[in-house]
Amino acid sequence: MKSETNTLINIWTKISTKKKRKGLNSEGKWALLMISPYLLHFIVFIVFTLLASLYFSFSRYDMLSAPEWIGVENYNKLINDPIFWKSLWNTVYFTLLFVPTQTILALILAVALNQQLKGLKLYRFAHFIPVISSWTVVLYVADAIFNPRFGLANDLLVKLGLEPQKWLNDEQLVIPVLVAVAVWKGVGYMMVIFLAGLQNVPEDLYEAAEIEGAGFIGKFRHVTIPLISGTTFLVLVLSTITTFQAFEQIYVMTGNSGDITAAGGPNNASMVLMLYLFQQGFAFLKMGYASAIAWVLFIILFIITLIQVKIQKKWVHYEK
Amino acid sequence: MQKNPNKKRKVLSYIIITISSLIMLTPFITAALNSLKSYVQYTAIPVEWIPDPVQWENYVEVWKMTDFAQYGWNSLVVTVLSVVGALFSCSLVGYAFARLEFRFKNSLFIMVLGTLMIPPVVMIIPQFIIFKNMGLLDTLVPLWILEWLAQPFGIFLMRQAFLAIPKEYEEAAKLDGCSPLQTYWRIFLPMCKPQLATLTIFTFMAKWNEIMAPVIYLSSQEKFTLPIGVLSMSGAWFGQEQYLVAAALMTLIPILIVFLFTEKFFVKGASSSGLK
Repeated sequence: MKSETNTLINIWTKISTKKKRKGLNSEGKWALLMISPYLLHFIVFIVFTLLASLYFSFSRYDMLSAPEWIGVENYNKLINDPIFWKSLWNTVYFTLLFVPTQTILALILAVALNQQLKGLKLYRFAHFIPVISSWTVVLYVADAIFNPRFGLANDLLVKLGLEPQKWLNDEQLVIPVLVAVAVWKGVGYMMVIFLAGLQNVPEDLYEAAEIEGAGFIGKFRHVTIPLISGTTFLVLVLSTITTFQAFEQIYVMTGNSGDITAAGGPNNASMVLMLYLFQQGFAFLKMGYASAIAWVLFIILFIITLIQVKIQKKWVHYEK
Repeated sequence: MQKNPNKKRKVLSYIIITISSLIMLTPFITAALNSLKSYVQYTAIPVEWIPDPVQWENYVEVWKMTDFAQYGWNSLVVTVLSVVGALFSCSLVGYAFARLEFRFKNSLFIMVLGTLMIPPVVMIIPQFIIFKNMGLLDTLVPLWILEWLAQPFGIFLMRQAFLAIPKEYEEAAKLDGCSPLQTYWRIFLPMCKPQLATLTIFTFMAKWNEIMAPVIYLSSQEKFTLPIGVLSMSGAWFGQEQYLVAAALMTLIPILIVFLFTEKFFVKGASSSGLK
């Protein structure tokens, strides 16, 4: 196999050396050849799709006939669409609950793990199993806890003399439960990112703080927090952006056997923007309307990033 | 990392991460126990923890009653082709950006980084239409082909790896008459095994677990990959959910094995995604 590949490369080289006389074998031509996968990617799957998506968002398009230009009608319809507003609110609510919770817990765990402890690998492994599980696995595993009839959570509530809950089938509880599961799944990953950040904090800074009489809390506040603020910023931006585009979890955990029109319940209480976009586009074939939702989502994400970058300057400490 | 380990702090840390680990593992243990129960016991109230009798045949039933093997094969095809594609294209493009000189190199690289910031959601619908026009709906091709076109995260990872190699290797190769392609393949690529391993585990995980693309592109049952295949079983097994839990847990095994062997690279990749 290896020699075969080498022969192939030799043939390739021979062909290109022939071309050399015509001036085609400069380093630049090699580079062009080598980056061609990305160029194709960029032209077809980035530039073309972006333009097409923008055009669709101003069109009526059901994929059966050609897209028909209708101006801002899709956007007008969006503004007057109560389910759109509900899914926007749900997305914001989900993000506001999820991002700080996950970030704070991940930081606490990273600080606890950032020392010579026995069984470090085992602890890390325990926090990684949810990370490497698909949402389908998570659905059936989380069901062991949140099944409204025979889950552990209700078993516990009943034993404590409290009322059993309907969890994912409860309009008030559905998002908090989804957030709890999402934190459970994601916290291990963020913990590792924080661990990497913590290991870059120079030891002598802690010693200096100790000499000045700082206790654990003091060191954490005056050394750890400012020195890992760059990492924290990145974690916040990344998780906000991914959470805003969350689809798989909601689709799997609130749908029924993968029926996309059934997801987002009960009564749209867990309908988020991405899911709404999918339903409109792929279930109801309103590709133009779905594209408009996509662009609204894009603009919101762009504004969030801008705001975060602006705020960053106020609190992120970069080493000089 | 403390030189004078504060004992109290250590004890507290142990308590925190032990509790946290238990919270992480309890759902899995409960699910694993559930997958070995009869339906009567599975739905018993109050909860009965220990399966009695242990029904190993639940796992056999999944293979007998469903297209589980077919879903597994589809997932494997998608995952392997994606991993090969990512390794090939990202290393090639990353090498060019790290070691070769060409016009517009910097502006092109800024474009690579820029595309990382565009949310994939705005491209989903036109992508779907492209694949539809190519007659690739309800095939596995759209699930892996994009990995052959060098995704930005991989390009970035491989570029960093190639940048770290001293210039002398390149000069020696040039003296031996190697073309850039030969230098890349014979000398530089073998030196980047850790990054290739990182890229492998990340692509493997993303593709093995992917749900969005299969939901969009696949419509016939026999094309389904494992995550959506197992989801689609729930209708047929309403009232027999212990089989579903068994099926879901089986889909976790391959990725668990891959993870156990490449944990080091997983940690490396995860932590590098949080650093500038």
